[in-house]
Amino acid sequence: MIQHEADLGRNSWEGAARIAALCATFHPDDEDEQIADDLLSCYNCRYRRWTAVSFSCCKNMPFTN
Amino acid sequence: MRILISIDDTDNLESPGTGALASQIAYDLESNCWGKSSFVTRHQLLVHPDIPYTSHNSAMCFSADIGEECLDRVITYAANFLERESAPGSDPGLCVAVLDRLQESGELIRFGQAAKQSVLTKESAYERAQQLGLHLSEHGGTGQGVIGALAGAGLRLGGNDGRLKGQLSFSAPGGIISVAALAGHDMIDEVRSLDGSAVADFDMVRLGDKVKTVLLDGRSVLLVVATAGASDGPRWQTCSRQLLKKY
Repeated sequence: MIQHEADLGRNSWEGAARIAALCATFHPDDEDEQIADDLLSCYNCRYRRWTAVSFSCCKNMPFTN
Repeated sequence: MRILISIDDTDNLESPGTGALASQIAYDLESNCWGKSSFVTRHQLLVHPDIPYTSHNSAMCFSADIGEECLDRVITYAANFLERESAPGSDPGLCVAVLDRLQESGELIRFGQAAKQSVLTKESAYERAQQLGLHLSEHGGTGQGVIGALAGAGLRLGGNDGRLKGQLSFSAPGGIISVAALAGHDMIDEVRSLDGSAVADFDMVRLGDKVKTVLLDGRSVLLVVATAGASDGPRWQTCSRQLLKKY
């Protein structure tokens, strides 16, 4: 599976919310794995995979603001 | 006897998470009258390109008080459960630690802390488990989850890592409640401020949308922060998810 790594980092709360709001594949992860206050955020998505400095999208969604 | 049950690497992108499986084992342990389970904690491990993980690399652990005669049944049940319920493609691991028999608890805690900082091997996990007399077993795939399972037990034992699974709800008019009432909740051992300043029983707290506790000093602690703004409102508010991210 190709995964596109976002350059958002791990603390771009507004950016992650903005992207998720436009994403057709967003699916909330388990409550225990959610870290953003906005439910609709890449950081709370089941399909984000954390990396050392950011995350990648397992649904291969392009990260455009 | 008190035991720790820790599991890791049981899920894939579409399956229930490892936390759900840990909760189910905790529930089943009680349903089978083997003992009494406590809360489940989530422990974040290192995220690194050399570590295979689904999406977050977190282990789940709970403690239980069981009859000594039930230990083998509990281990067998948990092992079979993982083999049955873990998702295709996962690499589940199970650790069961009998705390009364644990001679060198510091070694287990250090393994957990090391798993947050460095890439560890299966071999080192099995070696440490054998040394400490713990049950450690793999139940599918590569079995790589034994590393996280052992680490989760160590971090739970250390008592200062992770968030409790689930969120809490309260009956609180206007979403405002006293510290004393919060501390009376079954799942809260203590209310503590994030910056260490004193919190009085009579202080009032504004509840956020999601109320979660963290594991500190072996206790379920609700962290609060000072409110900004009007001086006649509650002195404290619960921490947001974003503030709890580091736990």
